[in-house]
Amino acid sequence: MLKEELESTALLARLYIDEKEKEKYLADINKMFDYIEVLQEPKVGDLKPTTHVTNLRNVWRSDVVKCCPKELVNKILDGVPQREGSFYKIKKVIDAQ
Amino acid sequence: MDEILTIRVQDLRAKMANGEVKSVDVVKSCFEKIKKVDGKIRAFLKLNEERAVIEAQKADEKIKSGSEISILEGVPIAIKDNIMIDGDSMTSASKYLKNYISPYDATVIEKLKKAGAIFIGRTNMDEFAMGGSTETSAYQKTANPWDIEKIPGGSSGGSAASVSAAMSPWALGSDTGGSVRQPAGFCGIVGYKPSYGLISRYGVCALASSFDQIGVFARYVKDAALLTSIIAGKDYRDPVCEPLEFIDYTENIDTETLKNLKLGIPKQLLDYKIDDVVTKYFKDAVNKLEHSGANIVEIDIPAYKYVPALYKVIMCAEVSANIATFDGIRYGYRSPNGKNLNDEYAKSRGESLGYEVKKRILFGTYVLGAKNYHRCYHQAQKVRTLLINQTNDAYKKCDFIFTPATLQMPVKFGESLPEECDIFLTAANLSGLPGITVPCAFADGMPLGVHFMGDRFSDKKLFQVAEAFEKISNFDRKKTPF
Repeated sequence: MLKEELESTALLARLYIDEKEKEKYLADINKMFDYIEVLQEPKVGDLKPTTHVTNLRNVWRSDVVKCCPKELVNKILDGVPQREGSFYKIKKVIDAQ
Repeated sequence: MDEILTIRVQDLRAKMANGEVKSVDVVKSCFEKIKKVDGKIRAFLKLNEERAVIEAQKADEKIKSGSEISILEGVPIAIKDNIMIDGDSMTSASKYLKNYISPYDATVIEKLKKAGAIFIGRTNMDEFAMGGSTETSAYQKTANPWDIEKIPGGSSGGSAASVSAAMSPWALGSDTGGSVRQPAGFCGIVGYKPSYGLISRYGVCALASSFDQIGVFARYVKDAALLTSIIAGKDYRDPVCEPLEFIDYTENIDTETLKNLKLGIPKQLLDYKIDDVVTKYFKDAVNKLEHSGANIVEIDIPAYKYVPALYKVIMCAEVSANIATFDGIRYGYRSPNGKNLNDEYAKSRGESLGYEVKKRILFGTYVLGAKNYHRCYHQAQKVRTLLINQTNDAYKKCDFIFTPATLQMPVKFGESLPEECDIFLTAANLSGLPGITVPCAFADGMPLGVHFMGDRFSDKKLFQVAEAFEKISNFDRKKTPF
């Protein structure tokens, strides 16, 4: 990984990394690339990938709207960094593009 | 003080039920011990002394009144700081969640409350459970109670240290790649991780979703089985939780004789550098098991050599997806320095997350990237299947896989352990299998343990085997470091 790739990955991850720490990240992550190489060794062509060890199945429930108790809504909103009434307050989304 | 906190919880309950011991005394003993030793160990991030004592008084009144009491009425427990308790803080040892208050109970907490348990405090951990030493906590480093210059292991190092030093009779942790069983081994207590899907993870801060499970710490195998009986079982709020009805894991726990039990030792164990004392006491444990009638068989799982790589690639990928939740919008830290929305996301995360977390997010984002996905993540998932297939084949030759808990003894702060140290523990997470660490000996004052890994949903039998081993191990369970 080169510095440009680290920066584009950080951008994708929406993660600010300090200029001074970039070299350290590069050194550590480049070491981790060995893991990717090791995993190319075994012949696994026909094997199905394992995403989960359970046999995930659909869990059905009635299509009924359940109101969230006002008390819980308030509790959740109490933890919001910035709120306005019962809304999360954020910066303009359109500016992000 | 230690006497009451080092006996079996089952015996403690009996003493409380017949009035010999009061819940208040037990809870106060915990806090006295914490005050005495936790300045050195730093296992707890937060204590709930006032509330715990009030709850203990209520429990005592209830017991005295003769009304029906719950199974854990008035019994104290320590909880890892990544499990939600309604109205209580939960930091996951991260600055991102410094001021976070949980708005609801995790399912396991709901069950423990119903059972009458009392929460004494929140235990330290690696930040978002990312680490194996509890050193990545944004708040403090927890020491190994048996040698305070050494690590307790991790990520659930605070929970392990709290039980080991008899500050709590037992504790909850979480285990993604050995995070309960490795610190249990380093601290000389029992650490159990269930089959994937046995215990609901609703209300637990996620690390790597396809590996994460809640696990338990106890001084005795029977206590670990009791705690598991209370917190396990179906929960529609965790989509991977198996729809299992109540199982009493303590039932018939004494019935295993070890006679003709087939224990598989992976031949790959010889491929690694193992501390001499670990080899010595592992051989000793094998001799004791053979002497009791168990048959030791050699098994071959060549894919063990991929375990560290598999774990790193898949775990980091899942971390990068899970930690995306922490964006500074709905809860947690929001940077005041963001110029626009994207900048605010990036800085909220950048300013509040530690180095290890950020490194894993970056590597995980890379392996999931459109042009890398196939070669990295998809390939890892195929190798994961290879490991699972080979492990399934091994179980045709044996009932349980038996290894040392860790291949090395704990190191001093700042030193690192070789990555293969706990590969036999991590293998259980990769395959969704249950595993339990049981202490077996002391070497120069430091405890060490062995690990039994069972086939999927063999948890009940696993407890029976662990219990049988505990009996023949001659390990002094009541010994405490202080």
